[in-house]
Amino acid sequence: MSGIETVKVIVEAEKEAAKILADAQTRAGEIRKRLDSLIEKERDETIQTARKKAAALIADAQSEAAIEGQVFEKDAQSKMREALERASERRGEAVEKLVAKLVELGA
Amino acid sequence: MSETSRFTEDILTAANEKARTIIKESESEAQQALDQAKTRSAREAEEILNNARAEAEAEKRRQISEIRQRLKLQEQLEKSKIVTEVLDQSKKRVMDLVKDEKRYLPYLTSLIANSIREIGLDAVTVHLNNHDLNMVKVAELEREIKKLVGKSVKIELSGEPIPALGGIIVSSTDGKTRIINTLDQRFEALEPRLLIEAGKILFD
Repeated sequence: MSGIETVKVIVEAEKEAAKILADAQTRAGEIRKRLDSLIEKERDETIQTARKKAAALIADAQSEAAIEGQVFEKDAQSKMREALERASERRGEAVEKLVAKLVELGA
Repeated sequence: MSETSRFTEDILTAANEKARTIIKESESEAQQALDQAKTRSAREAEEILNNARAEAEAEKRRQISEIRQRLKLQEQLEKSKIVTEVLDQSKKRVMDLVKDEKRYLPYLTSLIANSIREIGLDAVTVHLNNHDLNMVKVAELEREIKKLVGKSVKIELSGEPIPALGGIIVSSTDGKTRIINTLDQRFEALEPRLLIEAGKILFD
């Protein structure tokens, strides 16, 4: 092989090497590009799932609160009725005491 | 293999090696970035869930608190209604007493005696409403007062009826000192205390 041919072969090899490197850089660039959309997609999915769970949590809390509220209201209404019934039974006593106070001479 | 071939092969081997490194590093960086992004997303998702949990708790508390407030108001209204009815009934009972001359006249006499003791005078003017003016006789009143107070007191009945449901006003004859003991005044003065008293009897 002559000297010129040798140089040509080496230049060709270097060209090929440069292409290999350029291809590698291109692939690396593609990986980075894909990464952005992959991250975005992954984030969207995670957040979407979290939002669905959050909405379900709030909906559950609302129905739990409604049920607890009904139980609480029923209990409180019952206690109130009892208190009012007791008060009704004591009306006579209360009237007697109030009348006594109203006509009390030292009042 | 010739020297040239080895040289070119070395160039290509080095290029391939470098290319693999570039791609490997890129993949490794990508994996790292993805992992970091996943961690961030997971944190963000956890924050969304934590906020939702807090909101859910707040929602529960808000609903219970609303019910509690509504019931408290309803209870207060019901209690207030009963207390007011009891007070009205008590006033009515006192007014029944006024209509019963046998019970009212001694009561009125005692009321006058008490007021005379309080004013501490030997001559007084007694002010009554129209109904009571027709019922009370001065001579009888002076006799009863003497028994109750333990001394003679000159009583003059004011000819001008007072606008009261019952009870009396005793004044000095010049009108400068007055003891007001009308039922209206007693109702008004005692009402706050009576409401508390009735509340205690009814609801404690």
